[in-house]
Amino acid sequence: MTTTPAKDFMAEGDSAQALTLEQVSDAGRPDRWWEVVWSSRKARVGVVIVSVYVIVAVFAPLVAPHDPLDSTFTPLAGASGDNWLGTTTDGRDIASQLIYGSRISLLVGLFGGLLATIISLVIGMVSGYAEGTIVDDILSFVTNVALVIPALPLIITLVAYSEVRGVWLIVFVIAITSWAGGARAKRAQIITLRNRDFVTAAKFSGESTTRIIFREIMPNMSSLVAAAFVGAATGAIGAEAGLAVLGLGDSQSVSWGTMLYQANAQGAITQGLWLWVFVPGLVLAILITGMSFINFGVDLLSNPHLREDA
Amino acid sequence: MRYFARKFGFFVATLWAVVTLNFLIPRLQPGDPAEIMVKKLAGKDAQLDPAQVRAMRAMLGAPDGSLVQQYGTYLGELVRGNFGLSYSYYPFKVTEVIGQAFWWTVILVTVTQALSFVVGVVLGAYAAWRRNSRFDSVVTLGSTFLGTLQPFWIALLLLYVFGYSLGWFPTSGGYEESTPGLNFPFVQEAVSHSFLPALALLIVTPIGWILGMRNTMIMNLGEDYIRLAKAKGLPDRVVALKYAARNALLPSVTGFALALGGVLGGAILVEQAFDYPGLGRLMGEAVENKDYPLLQTLMLLTTVGVLVANLVADLLYGVLDPRARRAQS
Amino acid sequence: MSLLDVSDLSVRYEPKSHRPLDAVQHVSFSIEAGEFVGLIGESGSGKTTLGTALLRLLQRPGRISAGSITFDGTDITHLHEDELRDLRWRDISTVFQSSMNALNPVTRVEAQFRDVIEQHSRLRGEAVTTRIRELFDMVIIDHRFISAYPHELSGGMRQRVNLALALALEPKFVLLDEPTTGLDVVVQHSILENVRRLQAEQGFAVLFISHDIGTVLDLSDRILVMYAGRIVEEQPAAALLRDPLHPYSKGLLGSYGDPRAETVRITYVPGRPPDLSLEIRGCSFAPRCPERIARCTEVDPPLLPMAAGRAACHVAQLQRDEGGAGEHGEPKRTFDGPQFVKTAEESTQALRGDVVLTVDHVSKVFTRRRGLTVQHTEAVTDASFVLRKGEVTALVGQSGSGKSTLARMITGVDSPTTGRIVFHGPNGDQEVAGFRGRSLRDYRSNVQMVFQDPYSSINPAKRLGYVLARPLANYHGLKGDALRDRVEELLETVALTPADRFVNRYGYELSGGQRQRVVIAKALAVEPDIIVADEPISSLDVSIRAEILELLGGLVQTKDVGILYITHDLLSARMLADEVIVLNNGRIVEQGQTLAVIRSPQDAYTRTLIEAIPNPF
Repeated sequence: MTTTPAKDFMAEGDSAQALTLEQVSDAGRPDRWWEVVWSSRKARVGVVIVSVYVIVAVFAPLVAPHDPLDSTFTPLAGASGDNWLGTTTDGRDIASQLIYGSRISLLVGLFGGLLATIISLVIGMVSGYAEGTIVDDILSFVTNVALVIPALPLIITLVAYSEVRGVWLIVFVIAITSWAGGARAKRAQIITLRNRDFVTAAKFSGESTTRIIFREIMPNMSSLVAAAFVGAATGAIGAEAGLAVLGLGDSQSVSWGTMLYQANAQGAITQGLWLWVFVPGLVLAILITGMSFINFGVDLLSNPHLREDA
Repeated sequence: MRYFARKFGFFVATLWAVVTLNFLIPRLQPGDPAEIMVKKLAGKDAQLDPAQVRAMRAMLGAPDGSLVQQYGTYLGELVRGNFGLSYSYYPFKVTEVIGQAFWWTVILVTVTQALSFVVGVVLGAYAAWRRNSRFDSVVTLGSTFLGTLQPFWIALLLLYVFGYSLGWFPTSGGYEESTPGLNFPFVQEAVSHSFLPALALLIVTPIGWILGMRNTMIMNLGEDYIRLAKAKGLPDRVVALKYAARNALLPSVTGFALALGGVLGGAILVEQAFDYPGLGRLMGEAVENKDYPLLQTLMLLTTVGVLVANLVADLLYGVLDPRARRAQS
Repeated sequence: MSLLDVSDLSVRYEPKSHRPLDAVQHVSFSIEAGEFVGLIGESGSGKTTLGTALLRLLQRPGRISAGSITFDGTDITHLHEDELRDLRWRDISTVFQSSMNALNPVTRVEAQFRDVIEQHSRLRGEAVTTRIRELFDMVIIDHRFISAYPHELSGGMRQRVNLALALALEPKFVLLDEPTTGLDVVVQHSILENVRRLQAEQGFAVLFISHDIGTVLDLSDRILVMYAGRIVEEQPAAALLRDPLHPYSKGLLGSYGDPRAETVRITYVPGRPPDLSLEIRGCSFAPRCPERIARCTEVDPPLLPMAAGRAACHVAQLQRDEGGAGEHGEPKRTFDGPQFVKTAEESTQALRGDVVLTVDHVSKVFTRRRGLTVQHTEAVTDASFVLRKGEVTALVGQSGSGKSTLARMITGVDSPTTGRIVFHGPNGDQEVAGFRGRSLRDYRSNVQMVFQDPYSSINPAKRLGYVLARPLANYHGLKGDALRDRVEELLETVALTPADRFVNRYGYELSGGQRQRVVIAKALAVEPDIIVADEPISSLDVSIRAEILELLGGLVQTKDVGILYITHDLLSARMLADEVIVLNNGRIVEQGQTLAVIRSPQDAYTRTLIEAIPNPF
């Protein structure tokens, strides 16, 4: 739909400033969410950083010079043309480990974040919409309990029992231990939205409860959900690294956490192999920085008064 | 008074939930963790005390008896403080092993948590008061960046720089030659050994407080009571402290206990890096050796610790915010 | 020398992400010691920004961009904060608009008096306590509230405390920025009485900012009218009432009627104020002005002395020039715009309509359990009345009078504890409390709602076309072109034309009045028998309220719909309603034809309500 300023006046004469009966504000169609996010410079930087990581992870076999588990190189070699960042004590290529490691982090971030967001969404929405009932009392209590239990010790305990520690087990455990904060925020949000007049108005339009929750209320929560997802994914990535550092990582593959664990266990520091220690933590920090930057853009979405007075 | 009663009620209910969760976790595992423990211990020493086997079974699960019966026995052993034997530190009891490590972690975490709270709240409040100044941008950007670093990694870097390269601080353990106790050589050694672990935690932990305090304070500065305080011609110091910061502090108080959970997580990892003789290293060892009684007890202990801190914070909040005492639910 | 001299003052907002905006433009005026000056303007007129600038409390991105403020001979425009601090509160104090939040929530009221008294005077210890007691006496509040926390005070009490606080140091000048907005009419009235009495006794000067011309006329010696960042008229109160100069002032006066008259006419100013971030050519009011001449769209009128004061209007100036009246017509006293007329005759007619809903001896008791104690609150006691087709019934009462509870029971949200509400619909007589699920849904196709706040009653995530289409799809099963045509027809009905320009808009792109039209269109979509309108105009600007009243009044005539008009404001009830029901503490205290009730109220409470209506006539 296009409106020219001249047409925007309901002119009762030929002057452009004739008696206006009604006029619509000169704002065009509202900004799309991606336009809002993209309007923040930090968010743009974040999107670029995360995209680079995704590309590297997807095309790891093409990017990496070697197989990360190939231990046929000279141990403790320094950086060279063949081993860009040197080798480990048991003769593996650090650069290749680093590149393949991105896969685990992104995988855990994506699915751990997704699963945690879904759990928090379901519990938060049900609890918020049922506010004041026994259902809400129970769900709120569960949420509050889950919130006070320290996450990392619980994750460690849960993972420690299993013999096989695949990446999916880690994703699952991280998700079921880290949804509580999100659920509480969503409950609070839905309570404020639920009491808004447009929800009552929807009831008077003959809408069903499911339609009210998913078609009327949900679209107003998208920014909160997006922010929660980015936050949960960031947390999951950190938690995976923490687990791996304790030797509880996926034993079948390489992640940045397991690299740090190996580096510490093999005494990389005492032997002066600082690259082995320094690089995995650094790439992890850059990824998390990228994700925090994206969240700055997402915050613009949930902070409408930053855009409303346009 | 109703506020305090309700908070205490929540504490009791949560405590029950956590104790029950602790009961359920080993029993939800495939196989029989208790049997594995008993067998492994039997391998170390044939003469297992039957009472200790009972305690272990109470903690980790028994093949006979219904869940309800087991739950009763479990609560009974819990009340008596019987958590079984540690596999990694056989023949010591779990409680004795934890007793050794307990104060190391408690002191480390309490001191860093208190310091980061004070540092974070002060920096955050000042950044908000001087919003958009250079100080503010340095603090905000610096925190955002430091917040992305992993505590374990920071620990390794500190170890590398100050431990090995510069040699300013010891690189592992909690003390050297001295006898643990309240004597000067021990305290001195403990402090120098704790310095780097504390520093590793202190780099990350204040960040939540800084950003949180800054945000609430900025929000509060837009409130009418701040504008009115300025219109009243009160000195900046009074407006900033008595009006703005005093109100902005409240959410931070409730966040205190939740943050403690995060600090504990960080401490576990940092202790690993420094081989610090606290609960975190103990947890690492428990994981490595599949020492389930120790692991389960550590988990329960840390959770209860956070719970107690949460209660204290809630009660303190009730004192600080007159509205909370009357508010419902 | 005046106490306060404002000369050519401009305030500019320069947000990073938007166009800069001149919220206050070249404003000049002065206030004498002990004078009570009213500043009237609507939302966006810059009146609060001006007040904030006078107090030197502007925050970034706003700043004083030109002009000067001189207080008691001292230029305070750019005075350093340290020197300013000595003037603050001792000479210049204030009561804020939303004073719910003006007191520090975590400290006792006493401490908030004590800190400022000790800061600016030599009083200490017991002397301060004595002074606080004195101040509480002035605003008639019990001394035991001195040691209370702000949340322990009611809204009205908090506002009185703020007033006492403002007078703590016997200032020379007090700025009152909408000090009673949001309070109940009766409370509002008594606080303003209190202000007037104290001002007369103590002789401080007041700048009273408000959007309500009735109150301003009632209280002030002299009035400034602000529009689009400028002062467009300044006159003594009596002169403004008798002979308003600027058409906007006429419009504001026209939005006020005498509730006792046989026929009430109220006008409204169509359109909306200009966007101040765009350049305006000519007079900023010209696009909405019925008296506009060619010159108005070209030349910005200066604020010139005329009649008893000053005005910025070409027409007014030309008419008052020597011999101007002949060429440009006699000055008009009224606003020549669209108007809404309500006659007593209409009401008599309406009371003969068919009854669609009967409220029969209805009571509602709320039970709240807290721990072991059970609390019963009786929200509505033994209410009986009927709603008719083609009639507007007003339910008038303060907050907490039970009027919303009655509305919830009529719309089927709650059910009565005792008594019956019977709907006389197409399927015979049905009891509303018996509706569940599907039958409740069907019932709501006969009973629709219009809400108080048009900003929250349209889903911000949905286009208007969707909002209007839903009831049609749900109740009438309309689809495709038929649905689209009906949606456009609805928009035309509420004068949002051309409709295709609005269907793809979002609610927040519209002005408050336009939004309320959309909400009304939505309520009309399913051709209901009853519309429950819950304070539909109280959040709108005064000058456009009549527009919505006219729309509602027209619908009653053309669609034969019955309206239950819920309000705290007896004046607007008079304008719209044929019958009025006055509620106090859940009881109906008076009921009858609106004009009759207003002319000869039988109940003491109704009389209090009528007295609380500011009456400048």
